[in-house]
Amino acid sequence: MRVACLHICDLSLVAALRAEPQLCATPLAVVQAGPELGGRARVLGCTPAADGVEPGQTLAEARAVCPGIQVRQASDERERAAAQAAREAALCVSPRIEQVAPGLVYVDASGLEKLFGDERAVAGELVKAAERVGLRAAVGLASSKSVARLAARAAAVDLTLEATRWGVGGGAFQVVTLERQREFLAGVPLHELSLPEELHESLRRFGLHTLGEVAALPPGPLAARLGPEAALLSRMARGEDASALAPRADGERFEEGEELEWDASSIEPLLFVWNGLLGRLAQRLAARGLMAGELSLQLRLADGSWDERALDLAGPTREAPALLQLLRLSVESRPPPAGVRAVRLSAVPVREVLEQMPLFGPRGASATQLSAAVARLSALVGPERVGRPVAPDRWAPFAAGSAKFAAPPPSLPPLAGSSELALSARALRPPRTVEVRCDASGAPLLVIGEGALGGRVVASAGPWRTVAEWWSEKPIALDAYDLELVGGLLVRAARELGTDEWRVEAIYD
Amino acid sequence: MASPIPKLLDELLRDGQVRRAPALSPPARRPLPSGVGALDAALGGGWMRGQLHELVGPPGAGGTALLRAALAAATRAGELCALIDPADAFDPAPADIDLERLLWVRPKDAVTALRAAEIALEARFALVAIDLGDVGCSARWAPPVAGKAGSSGALPAPRLPKGVVQVVRFEVSRKAPRGASPWARLQRRSEKHGGALLLLAREPQAGTFAAAVVELERGRVVWEGRQGAPGRFLRGTMPVGAVTRHKRMPPSAPLLLRLPLR
Repeated sequence: MRVACLHICDLSLVAALRAEPQLCATPLAVVQAGPELGGRARVLGCTPAADGVEPGQTLAEARAVCPGIQVRQASDERERAAAQAAREAALCVSPRIEQVAPGLVYVDASGLEKLFGDERAVAGELVKAAERVGLRAAVGLASSKSVARLAARAAAVDLTLEATRWGVGGGAFQVVTLERQREFLAGVPLHELSLPEELHESLRRFGLHTLGEVAALPPGPLAARLGPEAALLSRMARGEDASALAPRADGERFEEGEELEWDASSIEPLLFVWNGLLGRLAQRLAARGLMAGELSLQLRLADGSWDERALDLAGPTREAPALLQLLRLSVESRPPPAGVRAVRLSAVPVREVLEQMPLFGPRGASATQLSAAVARLSALVGPERVGRPVAPDRWAPFAAGSAKFAAPPPSLPPLAGSSELALSARALRPPRTVEVRCDASGAPLLVIGEGALGGRVVASAGPWRTVAEWWSEKPIALDAYDLELVGGLLVRAARELGTDEWRVEAIYD
Repeated sequence: MASPIPKLLDELLRDGQVRRAPALSPPARRPLPSGVGALDAALGGGWMRGQLHELVGPPGAGGTALLRAALAAATRAGELCALIDPADAFDPAPADIDLERLLWVRPKDAVTALRAAEIALEARFALVAIDLGDVGCSARWAPPVAGKAGSSGALPAPRLPKGVVQVVRFEVSRKAPRGASPWARLQRRSEKHGGALLLLAREPQAGTFAAAVVELERGRVVWEGRQGAPGRFLRGTMPVGAVTRHKRMPPSAPLLLRLPLR
C-alpha cells in the first residue's frame, strides 16, 4: 500500500495569507488571537521577509527585531476553512482520505499512478490541488502513514512562499520508494520527531540521535528499558507501521469564515469580507466540480450569540456576484441586532449543473441571477407582492394569489398549443362600490361611481347568480351583470344578495 | 513545390469569378411574437428584443388583451416574462399564459413600477410588461430625489420587529434613477440586456424612446340575444388598432381585432 501525507505547515500563517496573498512578500507575523494580550501575544508564524522573527517570540520582541512587521491575529474561522480546504484538495486526488488533524490528511495513493503517471506525479498533483484551493502544502509519499508523515516533514524544508491567484503556493513534496526507505529513515534526526520529553532525554543519554541508530538496536531490550513508546519508535525506525488508513465519510459542507478585528456595524465591511469568502468558496467548489445547492450565513454577534439565516437559492450555483447580492439583501432586509464579530458561510455542495448556452439567441438569466432579481424586487415592493401568479381554488370571482417564483427547469416543456386573442378582464382589487339605479324588472339603468366608472347603461346582460363558500366566514352570494356604459366602457358589476350593495369587480379590456 | 491553388484563387478573385464572403455578422435578435398574426406583420415580426414598445388606448380598447396575448405567446415559447402590475389587475384564471414562466410584481405606485421594470430587465427576462392601465402616470413623471424618504427608487428602510431597538447602523444604499426621462433609462436597459419592454398605458408615455407605438380604439360591442331577455350574453368586442409609429416600418393600416369573451 502507498500512502501520501498532505500537511499544511504553519496553518495559522497559511490561512492568513490565503485571505491576503498580497502579503506573502512583506514582513508579516500571525499572533495569538485576543487584543488583551497586547505585546505579550506569541508569534505563531511569520513570512520569510520578517527577518529575525521566529515563532514563539512575543509580539514586542518581534517588533523590536523587525520594526516594520505587519501583524494579523490568528483566526479560528480562517484555520477551520483552510483545514477543510486541505481535506478537499486531498479528495480531488483520491476518494480515500483520512484527516487526522487540521491541515494533516493521509491519502490512499495506491493505484493513482494509472491516473497521474508515476508517484512523483501523484505527489505533485496533491501539491497542485492544494494550491488550487489557496494552500501551500508539504506532501510525502511512502509505504506507510508514519513514513509518509516523515517524508512530508522532510519536504517542508523545500517550501517557499508565493502568492497565487487563489491564495498562497510554493508547496513541495518528497517520495520515499521502498528501496530507499531504510536509507531515508536512517537519516531522520530524533529531535525532529514529536517524542515525549522524557523518552527524548533518555535516547540522548544513550547517544542515539537518528532513527537509523534506533533501528540498529534490538527492539525487545529497548522496549524493556524505555517502555512501549520506545517500542513504537523502534517499529517506526524500521519502517514497520501496521496502522491502516481509516477513511471517514464525513457529512460534507463547504465552509469559509473570517473573524473581524472590530465589530462591523454597517454593511460595507461585511460586503468586503463576504466578497473574499465567496471567491474562495467558489474556488473550492470549482476544484471539486461542485456547486452550492444551499448557502447559509452565520454571523457571530458582539453579545456572543449567532445570527443564522439561509439564502433562498433558485438552483445550484457558484456565482459569487449574485450570491453577494443575495447576502446583502438578506442582511439589509433583516439587520442583525448587534455588531458582527465573525462571519461564516456554509454551502451544501451538489453536483455541477452545466448551463446550455443558446447558439443564436441572447443568453438568458441563470437561476441565481433570477433569485437575486426576485430578492431585489422583494426588497423594493415587499415579498408578498412578488411571485408567480396562481388562481386560487375558490369560487370568488377574479381572485388571485401569489406563489414563490422559481424558474422552471429547462426540461419542463412550456404549455402546448397556441393561445387565441380574447377579451380580458382587469380585476379591481378591492372591487369599487357604486350606486346603481334599476328599472322595475331589476335591470340596471344607471351606474353612479367614481371617475369613469359611471354613466348610463347602454346594454346589459345578466344576472348570473353565484352562491358559494357558504361554509366559510365570507360567503359569496351575488348576482353578476355585464354592463356596457355610455361611451363604450364594459364592466362586470355585481349585486350582493345580502346587503343589496353594488360593486364593479372588473373592467373588460 | 508550392500548391497552385492559392495562386488560382487569387486570379479568380481578381476576375470576380469568386467573391469573398462577408464577415459573419451576429444574428439578428429573433422578435417575440405578439400573438396576433396581423400585428406581427405590421411590427416586422413581433415585439423586438432590446426595444421599448407602447400599447396606448382607452379601457375597453383591447390593450390588456394584447398584453396578455404577448405574455401568452412568449411564455408558451418557453421564455421567462415579468409583468409589472401596479394596479394589481392581473387575472390568473384564464389558462392562456404559462404561469410557471411569469413573474408577477405588484408595486404600489408607478415610480416603483419603473424601478421594478429596470430590475427585471437586468435579470434578462425576455419580455417585461408594464401595465400602467389604471395608474395615473403622465409623461411629466419626474425621477425620485435620491435619498428622499419614501422615494420608491430606493430600497425600503429595514423594518424592525416591535420592541427591538436597532443598535447598529446598517446603511441602505439609496440609488435613484437619474436622467431626464425614465423611459430613456429603461430603453437603455432593454437594449443592453436584450429584453423586450412592453408598456400598456392610456396615453402615450415614452415619446421617441418607444420603438413602436400601437394605438387602439374601442369598437363595437357584440351582444347575443335580445335586450332584457333571458339568455342574453356579451360575446366580445371588435376594437381597432394600428401601428402608428415604428422606427423601421411604415405606419400600418387599421387592424380590426376580434376579442371574443371566453
